[in-house]
Amino acid sequence: MLSGSAGVSIFAQEGGGVPEGFKKGELAPLPSAEMIEAGKRVYFTKCVWCHGVDGAGDGPAADRLWPRPRNFNQGTFKIRRTASGELPLFDAKKAVEAENDLFATVTHGLPGSAMPSWEGILTEEQRLQVLSFVTTQLIKDRKFDDKATETQTVLQLDEIKPIPVSKESLEKGAQLIVDKKCIECHGVTGRGDGNAFNLKDDWGFPIQPANWHKCWNFRGSRQDPYNIKNIFRTFSTGVSGTPMPSFADNTTVEERWHIANFVNSLCERDPEGNPLPIDPLTDKPKVNFVIRSGPVLEGEISDDPENEMWQKRERRIVLFGGQITHKPRNFVNRIDDVWVKSLYNDKNIVFLFQWDDRSKSVAEGKLPWQPTEVNVENYGVKEQAPKTGEGDSIAAQQSKYPVYNDAFAFQFPVKWQELPAPIKPRYLWGDQKYPVDIVKWEANGTIKAFTGTGWDQDFQDRDDYTEKLKVLKQEWKDGRWTLMVSRPIKEDYDEDTYFEMGKYIPTVFFAWDGHNGDAGRKMAVSAFYYTVLEPPIPRETYIYPTLIAIGVVILEGWVLTRRANKKKGKV
Amino acid sequence: MKVLIGSVLGGLVVVLIALLAFGVLPATSLKLVEGFMPMQMLFELAVSVAIFAAMSYMLSAGGIQLPRFWQGILFWTYIILYLKFRVYPPIPFSVRAMYGTVSLIAVFMWMSSNEDDWKKFKQPIMNVLDANTGFHKGLRTAYLILLPILLWGFSYSSFLPNLDEPVELRTVHPAPPASTKVHGKTFVLQTSQNPYRVNPEGKYDQEYSNARIVEQAMGRLMKPDANPWDPKAEGYLKYVREGGEIFFQNCHFCHGDNLNGRGLHAFAFNPIPANFTDPGTIAQLQETFIFWRVSKGGIGLPNEGFPWASVMPPWEQHLTTDEIWKVVLFEYWHTGYYPRTWD
Repeated sequence: MLSGSAGVSIFAQEGGGVPEGFKKGELAPLPSAEMIEAGKRVYFTKCVWCHGVDGAGDGPAADRLWPRPRNFNQGTFKIRRTASGELPLFDAKKAVEAENDLFATVTHGLPGSAMPSWEGILTEEQRLQVLSFVTTQLIKDRKFDDKATETQTVLQLDEIKPIPVSKESLEKGAQLIVDKKCIECHGVTGRGDGNAFNLKDDWGFPIQPANWHKCWNFRGSRQDPYNIKNIFRTFSTGVSGTPMPSFADNTTVEERWHIANFVNSLCERDPEGNPLPIDPLTDKPKVNFVIRSGPVLEGEISDDPENEMWQKRERRIVLFGGQITHKPRNFVNRIDDVWVKSLYNDKNIVFLFQWDDRSKSVAEGKLPWQPTEVNVENYGVKEQAPKTGEGDSIAAQQSKYPVYNDAFAFQFPVKWQELPAPIKPRYLWGDQKYPVDIVKWEANGTIKAFTGTGWDQDFQDRDDYTEKLKVLKQEWKDGRWTLMVSRPIKEDYDEDTYFEMGKYIPTVFFAWDGHNGDAGRKMAVSAFYYTVLEPPIPRETYIYPTLIAIGVVILEGWVLTRRANKKKGKV
Repeated sequence: MKVLIGSVLGGLVVVLIALLAFGVLPATSLKLVEGFMPMQMLFELAVSVAIFAAMSYMLSAGGIQLPRFWQGILFWTYIILYLKFRVYPPIPFSVRAMYGTVSLIAVFMWMSSNEDDWKKFKQPIMNVLDANTGFHKGLRTAYLILLPILLWGFSYSSFLPNLDEPVELRTVHPAPPASTKVHGKTFVLQTSQNPYRVNPEGKYDQEYSNARIVEQAMGRLMKPDANPWDPKAEGYLKYVREGGEIFFQNCHFCHGDNLNGRGLHAFAFNPIPANFTDPGTIAQLQETFIFWRVSKGGIGLPNEGFPWASVMPPWEQHLTTDEIWKVVLFEYWHTGYYPRTWD
């Protein structure tokens, strides 16, 4: 049974009902002049660099950020407990997240955007001060205390009793996201691929639906990504300023919980079904830098990711940032993680990569550059200029890039056995002294082997090795790429990376999103990982413990015999 | 009454350790004071010994005699749990193992300090070995069967190949060269100065700029009369603003909006971006060191700095010399640190 307040509809004097689960609230008093003055100081130390002098979201950082910093002038805020279109909860005297939406946002930031968490940096008082300044001086189109035009209708998030996750609830949720047309934008499997390229926010900038499988990137997660309440709240109140509407008027509270339970169930989990551990320093999943390739002792490696031999392999997450070292730098990186599994037999090592990409991108016609060329700035692949104004900012460009091929590549050192510890070839395509073995797949179906000798050096073809590469599977479906690549374990020692069991082979991954205009050095890049061919468990692992156990048994017998003899001696 | 007090004391100790172990009671509830930590720990352990002695006395006075063997085991267990859950930041396993071994030896020496105590200590072990009663016979059988099985399991686990991430030690701040060439001009690190650290007369003046950096309090806010965004700001503060603009167009993607190394792309990279608010970074370094480091980026590091892994751009590829100096100026301003002087 839901709590009493949930079932009650209160009719306001102006007419119109209060949606289920909401209750009328009182507008808070304005902050004091002292708070506003103190807040100005905080704003011009911390916030002005992104949000700008007048809070128009046009600070120095703005033109290279997507999403852009919030333009405060209109008074539109995304993450709230208040009804759609209303101002968020803000009370300059309350440092309580449940009663202060803006305080919660400054405290926890907005994951997946450049808005950081200010907790631990600004005190609670300082957070309230800066919000006092923003709400009274930078919001120009609305007033927080204007009872004539503003109302407050608050979702009773802490009073409504959640419906527990169950098979029935998940089934209802799965049906409801079809009935309520969620999948039209968020996609059939919830990866945000439904209507990824036609949506705009209220300021006219392209916007993309959330990927439900990466709850750590939910703007409103409040640094608690697996908390179902956050989804329930967003579904109930909508996201003001975006096409995401409030569903409070056409769903019951119960229906919203089923939907929230279902959406939450889609977020990536470990094989046991537990939430992934989240690194508190990054608010992203924790990384294990060792990618283990499992042995297949007999037969061929299956090309079906659903095959048992693949299913029982543990997958690793590889995190990607934009390439921001050399021009053209990639300030907006759309591929931020890839899942990797690997198997090997006596001839080949096979990698299975899966990553979310809202679009399948294949260039129309022939690319103007050769596959070996890496300096493609001359063909128009430019980095975003620092100060352009809104019209040509990186946010405005998001749906205007020329479409190139989606691509994926991985890099190993050549002759890694001879590297003096701890030296590695440079992460970005090696260097003259330590070349690298690069295998690159493109979404037009090609796969090639190259040698890299530096960040600005064109690749050299390795045709002989290319002929032995195999793409066992390449499929884009419902917002996700699945790519399976097979490569020989040993070929030409001087040109191709040799794979040996039990050795740590430094590995770097690269990814290109064709709809992001990625090509050449404009791409996503990982840190150094290690690929290790897991040795089959040697017989010694069984023999020695058995010998030890037998030794212990013998020792036990000796002790008992000696003890018994001692007793006999006394008698 | 004495038995009751002894039992209550024992219960309190158990509850306290349990609360620490399960995280209900954070280890930080009773802060370890920096500088006095060793004395504080020794004092706490001394208090623990006193409590255990009092417990033992009261229980034995009331007729309950806890065998010496179990006294030793329980006290040693307490020490191990104390080291694991009370001491913070966490002690590495190897150090804990060392202390554990030492305390085990100490307990053993205590147990064997006289003939009578030694006999009492040995008694439970002998009971099990001799198996004079049905209970002890069952116990002995259980030990004889379980011991080989457990040892097999432990040694099997240790023989399995270990595929954890290899450890590599990186020098975060390697020694800089004597001079560096940026955009064709050579800068001697020992004698060069930031040309934008100037007073209103346009003269280099570190005291003047030090007086206008943000305050070293929580929040690190600008001084009330030192706003670089003031339209009338000139000289040092104007250059701080210009440096901040450059920082937020280039550097904050990794070093973050608060210069704490938690930028938009920081999660993906290793080595992770420097946290400039940490007193171990720019606060410990000279301004020209930072200038060299920024100009040459990760690729310009000597090998002990792992140039192959750093994604730090060589900023001379993206910024003019003047822009680099202004960014450095901003980084010191925003963190509230003074550049270190050459000794």
